[in-house]
Amino acid sequence: MHHAEHVMGTVVSIDLADDLPDADLRAMIDDVCGWLHEVDRRFSTYRDDSEVSRLRRREITPAEYSPDLRHVLEACADLWRETDGYFDAYAAGPLDPSGYVKGWSVEVASARLAEAGSVNHCVNAGGDIRARGVSGSGSPWRVGIRHPWEADKLSWVLSLTDQAVATSGTYERGDHVFNPRTGGPARGLRSVTVVGPDLALADAYATAALAMGEAGIAWLAKLAADGYDSAVVTDDGRAFSSTGLPAAV
Amino acid sequence: MRRSTAAAIGTLTGAALIVGVRLSVSAPVVPAAAPPAVDLTNTGQDVETPDSPTKSGTPSKKAPKKPAGDDKEEAAGEAGGGGLTNGVFKGSAAKNPYGTIQVSIKVSGGKITAADATYPVTGDSATINPPAIASLKQATVKAQSAEVDAVSGATFTSESYVKSLQAAIDAATA
Repeated sequence: MHHAEHVMGTVVSIDLADDLPDADLRAMIDDVCGWLHEVDRRFSTYRDDSEVSRLRRREITPAEYSPDLRHVLEACADLWRETDGYFDAYAAGPLDPSGYVKGWSVEVASARLAEAGSVNHCVNAGGDIRARGVSGSGSPWRVGIRHPWEADKLSWVLSLTDQAVATSGTYERGDHVFNPRTGGPARGLRSVTVVGPDLALADAYATAALAMGEAGIAWLAKLAADGYDSAVVTDDGRAFSSTGLPAAV
Repeated sequence: MRRSTAAAIGTLTGAALIVGVRLSVSAPVVPAAAPPAVDLTNTGQDVETPDSPTKSGTPSKKAPKKPAGDDKEEAAGEAGGGGLTNGVFKGSAAKNPYGTIQVSIKVSGGKITAADATYPVTGDSATINPPAIASLKQATVKAQSAEVDAVSGATFTSESYVKSLQAAIDAATA
């Protein structure tokens, strides 16, 4: 069963490939959509009444933070350290945990689906993907990485079972990633894709590497040891990929 | 990498030219005392490359990466036919904003037959130089079409979604 939901400023595509009654699949999709809208309500920086907006205005004290908010803040702090400051939820000034929240919310959505009995699914949140099990054809999920200049072409095709894929790039929304060292927009890399077990981390790593520029290529190479492979395209069209990238054959 | 490689190439060219000139006017010169390297802050500036998905390859291919210390056949001192003294000539180490680079050239038969440069191996520069990126393999970016279940890309907005490949997939499977 397939569903596309407009939420969090993008579209989330949910693909359930389990051989279960339609009513069950429908209920699972409803549950996931409910969760994603809840995340949007609580963490969006565009909503004045979100928990994040209230934190920004200091209307809530740390003691009043929800467990989810506490988790998000801790994860952002960990990632800030892990990425040498390049993943920075405060890059634009006030707290903006969006760079972590989207990947995390889909990771949680996938876990909820698995708990509810869906072991074969693929959730794509505006380009960030969490896949489990196999697709409807019974083979691993085939995921294309968008070509950074030709929107209707792919630069890599991956074959995935239980993995996440996140891509950060400058071609879709312009200069939205900043290099915290220079204060200016990220330069050097056009597209960074990270493949690994956890979508929240893969997404944050991709964003951090994009912010680093070409130095991000060497930084990404070190992540392979932790199970995070990557594929990069530079501003001048050179492509780099780690040897463990699960490229489809 | 591109920036520092450009710097290395600039230095190689500069050093080669200077060595060539020196040797031709006052040969033979003691090889180890190659002239000071050219100012890398001027020669090493990045050249703006326009977005070009088809561009491939890297300047590093033109700058052999084997360590300069490889060539131990220090200056045999025998003048070749072209006026240059045979041997291996090392420039003095030159500091630049990305680290320290030392160039060397090999002269045989009176001609420069090889040029090389050491790369910074510490600090920020180490992370952007060839040895450090060995574990990501380089290729030309491909543009292909294939049947896929989902497309990963930079996050699209609700508005730009309609033009995306993912929207086409969603429409096909809805």
